[in-house]
Amino acid sequence: MSLSKRQRARVIRGVQYGVLVLAVVVFALIADWHQLRMAFFDVEVAKALFPDIITTALVNTVLYTLLGFGFGLALGLVLALMRLSSVPPYRWIAVTYIEFFRGIPCLLVFIALGFGVPLAFEVALDMNVTVMLSLGLVGAAYMAETIRAGIQAVPKGQTEAARSLGMSHGRAMISIVIPQAFRIVLPPLTNELILLTKDSSLVYLLGLSLTQFELANFGRDALNEHKSLTPILIAGLLYLVITLPLGQLVRRLEARTAKAR
Amino acid sequence: MSARSALPVIAVATAVVVLAGCSSTTSGGKKGAGGLELVSSGTLKTCTHLPYAPFQVKKDGKVVGFDVDLVDLVAKDLGVTQEIVNTPFEGIETGQDFTIRKCDLAAAGMTITPARDKVMDFSDPYFNATQALLTKKGKPFKKVEGLKGKKLGYQKATTGGIYAKKHGKGVELVEFEDLGLLLTAVKSGQVDAGINDNGVLFDYVKQNPDTAVTAEFNTGEHYGIGVRTGNDALRKKINAAVKKAKSDGTYDRIYKKWFGTTPQS
Repeated sequence: MSLSKRQRARVIRGVQYGVLVLAVVVFALIADWHQLRMAFFDVEVAKALFPDIITTALVNTVLYTLLGFGFGLALGLVLALMRLSSVPPYRWIAVTYIEFFRGIPCLLVFIALGFGVPLAFEVALDMNVTVMLSLGLVGAAYMAETIRAGIQAVPKGQTEAARSLGMSHGRAMISIVIPQAFRIVLPPLTNELILLTKDSSLVYLLGLSLTQFELANFGRDALNEHKSLTPILIAGLLYLVITLPLGQLVRRLEARTAKAR
Repeated sequence: MSARSALPVIAVATAVVVLAGCSSTTSGGKKGAGGLELVSSGTLKTCTHLPYAPFQVKKDGKVVGFDVDLVDLVAKDLGVTQEIVNTPFEGIETGQDFTIRKCDLAAAGMTITPARDKVMDFSDPYFNATQALLTKKGKPFKKVEGLKGKKLGYQKATTGGIYAKKHGKGVELVEFEDLGLLLTAVKSGQVDAGINDNGVLFDYVKQNPDTAVTAEFNTGEHYGIGVRTGNDALRKKINAAVKKAKSDGTYDRIYKKWFGTTPQS
């Protein structure tokens, strides 16, 4: 039996799909669906979560993320410019900062700020401020690198043209380069926003009052109260409610950037 | 065989290996000493949540404490060694850790409550506990009710939290993931007071003289060792070991070692 090249390719692809389907079927057969359903889909438990899981937990997750992202973006821009500066100490500071905060777990930053600051200065920072600083300090390290790459991706000719029109270096940066850079880095920045959304769950380390619960903590608290995993599933789905549209947005922006080129 | 056609072969081979792996791991626990089923033979796996001094605490790379010594007696009777599994307390008290066969028993300074009794089986009580209030030294708080408008910290999924929720009308309750964070929050002034079991708070105050235990609430709580629902073989072994320790003085000796006094009752 001799197959042409195309036929053989088709057979091979068929086998690959077959293996995938088989794996799914076997998983579906060996999983204990009754147990899973009992644990994850308890309708009564799910009902008890609403509306608080939306009005408190979802809202707080979004709030914490935006606080961290806003602060991180501002600091990230400053760091990126410092890193590209012609003044060596600025570059050193920026590089040290980026390497440090990119290299340590966000969890440790939360503990250091949340417990270290009150112990050192005997003032307890406002919860929102602590979250903003913790998420922002880490986020800024990543965003600085992203923004720097964006600035460097703007063609040199743009700066030269701006300077030849009589703009100062700073003016050219603000009016010409940075706006174009942000257009380039919008997709990776949105990625960072999604990462921060999930990192915002680390806020539990600070100790939360009932009105400060975010999604992950809310889910785990309800898990203890109801002795059911359903709240975890619902919390997970609500994270997707936040992050899936953001992913969609990234793709939309990518397509637009591609078209504009 | 060209490189391209090798791909599906690898895929099939991987799938077969994965499937074979699945089917061979479903057998579950192995028979141990005395007809007892242990999660892994030769070791008695204990779930706990660190730190919870003096019941379980890490010292020189080992987990030691009152609970550890007590369970060691059980392990000795079974002719196996104890292995401590550190895991979030919520996994223990919801019974999930037993469901997924993470451990044989849970000794975590855990109060016997009706809700927990539903998801696991408890040994006979082995320790009497009350809830207590920890504050910075010199603070006037003597009752949970007296903390109106102040911040009271509690540990997630603990009876102290339940007590605080029940009696703390008008008190701002703050939830902490574990004891270490709760105690630090009291010390650093992030919360005005913290509620937890007396044993651990007295232990903390000994080492941190700038804090004080200002009140105890007799809630009639008893600690129990939890096992998977229906695991009577192990539960009976635990009860026998604790009973024997109480009658031959071993219990008092361990108690004195960790609390510095002998048990009152």
